[in-house]
Amino acid sequence: MNKRSLIGEFTKGLIEENATFKAAIGLCPTLAVTTSLVNGFWMGVAVVFVLTFSNVFVSILRKVTPDQIRIPVFVILIATPVVIVELVMRAYLPAMYQILGIFVSLIVVNCIVIARAEAFAYKNSPLRAAFDGLGVGAGFMIDLMLIGAVREFLGTGTLTVGSMVLPSKPLFEPMSVMLTPPGGFITLGVLMAVLNIAFQRAAAKRAKTVS
Amino acid sequence: MADKLLITSSPHIRAAKTVRSIMLDVVIALVPASVAAVVFFGVKAFGVLAASTISAVLAEYLYEKAVKRPVTVGDLSAVVTGLLLGLTLPPAVPLYVPVVGSAFAIVVAKQVFGGLGTNFVNPALAGRAFVLAAWPLHVTSAWLNPLTMDAATGATPLHAFKGGQAAGSLVDLLIGNRLGSLGETSAIAILLGGAYLLMRGVIDYRIPVAYLGTLGLGVFIFGKPGALFQGDPLRGILLGGAMLGAFFMATDYVTSPVTPKGRTYMGIGAGLITLLIRYWGDYPEGVTYAILLMNLATPLIDKFVVPRYYGYAHDVAARRKANRAGGELS
Amino acid sequence: MQFISILLAGVLTSNFIFMQYLGLCAFVGLSEQFETAIGMSGAVIFVMTFASTVAAAFEQFILVPFGLEYLRTIAYILVIAAFVQLVEIFLKKTAPSLYKALGIYLPLITTNCAVLGAAMLNVKNQYGILWGTVNGLAGALGWSLAIVIFAGIRERWKFMNIPEVLKGFPLALISTGLMSLGFLGFSGLFKTILK
Repeated sequence: MNKRSLIGEFTKGLIEENATFKAAIGLCPTLAVTTSLVNGFWMGVAVVFVLTFSNVFVSILRKVTPDQIRIPVFVILIATPVVIVELVMRAYLPAMYQILGIFVSLIVVNCIVIARAEAFAYKNSPLRAAFDGLGVGAGFMIDLMLIGAVREFLGTGTLTVGSMVLPSKPLFEPMSVMLTPPGGFITLGVLMAVLNIAFQRAAAKRAKTVS
Repeated sequence: MADKLLITSSPHIRAAKTVRSIMLDVVIALVPASVAAVVFFGVKAFGVLAASTISAVLAEYLYEKAVKRPVTVGDLSAVVTGLLLGLTLPPAVPLYVPVVGSAFAIVVAKQVFGGLGTNFVNPALAGRAFVLAAWPLHVTSAWLNPLTMDAATGATPLHAFKGGQAAGSLVDLLIGNRLGSLGETSAIAILLGGAYLLMRGVIDYRIPVAYLGTLGLGVFIFGKPGALFQGDPLRGILLGGAMLGAFFMATDYVTSPVTPKGRTYMGIGAGLITLLIRYWGDYPEGVTYAILLMNLATPLIDKFVVPRYYGYAHDVAARRKANRAGGELS
Repeated sequence: MQFISILLAGVLTSNFIFMQYLGLCAFVGLSEQFETAIGMSGAVIFVMTFASTVAAAFEQFILVPFGLEYLRTIAYILVIAAFVQLVEIFLKKTAPSLYKALGIYLPLITTNCAVLGAAMLNVKNQYGILWGTVNGLAGALGWSLAIVIFAGIRERWKFMNIPEVLKGFPLALISTGLMSLGFLGFSGLFKTILK
């Protein structure tokens, strides 16, 4: 396999190796914090930060890490940026920290982060690992925002982006169920199925143009 | 075209006919309750029932067209789902509630698993639970006064009953002259339908008897605030949605246990959960959730409650036999 | 009374899977076989209960006295990983049959976010060691109830013709949604009596 460009390492995380819709890992925060677009955004920011730094740390230390104890080492290397994110968020975004709750701390056991450390950072250079972390993190952030947007729109009738509320008045009677756990599970399940269809169509199209 | 397709493969004919005739029986059994609903609550009741039934059939048709599967609206199961959902809703509910509920019931609770026989929860109840969580106010307060058909304010008789107050005469409760969801008010209409189903052998008496028996006993013990063993079991059964649920929802073949003993357990379990939610939970009535939760437990009941056959070991053989029986029913 | 209220919350009203979204990966991943679900449930009940005890003790005797609360995340994950290792060694030596039954599930538990989540919730609710342990047990029982129910449902899917695009996660999530719709019915149970 020939090496990808650095940009390629970044973009593969967006769709091709998308954490939620392709690999289906790291589901707990994907559901727990996606009651609104903004919550999804900030959780995504936290994950991008943690993933990039944990990837870089793992990659730098990959030559001196003994194979047998690599998982505990990964966990410590991941926990460090998680603690930083926690402290920064608590200081500068206390309200958001309250909303995201324990799920910021739980990034430390998020399968996405451990999977990237094991599958990519442990075998690649720090620069590549950084781009990989940024890409997969950004992909995850887009997933969270997408799910958050769907649930917020159906559940409250509007979308709040910063100080803007769109549309200013709900066009339909909001369905509060979308903000509850059942709504979250069903939204994610349906979105996955819909995107699976889209991915299949795209793959079929590509196969056609090649042949 | 459609007929031709049905005739060409012989096992399907039998299956389709069986499902269709069973569903037709259920529709016939629901006629008295539907008529009672329209008599007491008027044109609005008709609107809700029509909206829920039509959108259930339409949802089934559109989904099956979209995924290119054979269209099965002819088996009438969508009609039953839609009608049942409509009967669980209050009369003055906005019409998008039955429409969304039916679509959810058919597509999310049934079709994504592969259609009738593959769903693990009763579609109509899943649809009701969904709209109840989506628009709690509409589904728990859009009551109409019977016969006068003006908007009712104030609590339902079930609510008054739970508080220990009078809850209407037994005659009113039996004929359905009270506040409530469309299909749950008239006990006589439900009993007529239930008796028809029992007579035709469509449903097993065990689930409704065990369900209503457990509920009645529980109401007798805990039903009076501040005193034990002084509740009114009859009103406890007649008020709320227990009758409709016990005869028409808990007995659904696909989502209830296949063995006689398992069915008894299902009825008892549903009775207990209904009591639990009605008297100690957030929701005013627990029938929907009780039956849904027992639907979830059904695979486990079928797994662990197996009938004894003489000459068989109490194990694999019996279980396999039970499974086979289940396959034929669904 | 608090014992019952914590137990009831963990199992029914705020079930880890259906209401708190904790431990979903293992819930979906290990529910295809009934036996696997039972095995994992045993391991989770065991580890989550005692990991909660250990983490709460660590909080009370080390983190708080030394003012190290900001290192909680890193400390807890190490404590849990070490505890799981210890359990594994201990079981291997003293109870080989139990080890055989639970052994393969133990390593999976370190990354099960429900265990760390339970420990974190204990801090958030200020449960202390005793009630923290009860809460860990309650959460684990609720998690087990959920996965056993789901495994029962999934066993039937083997014989069904499920569309390709829905297989696996999409259908598992939609089903979990339907199950959690049922569990909504328990909300507020006994809240007037308890507390």
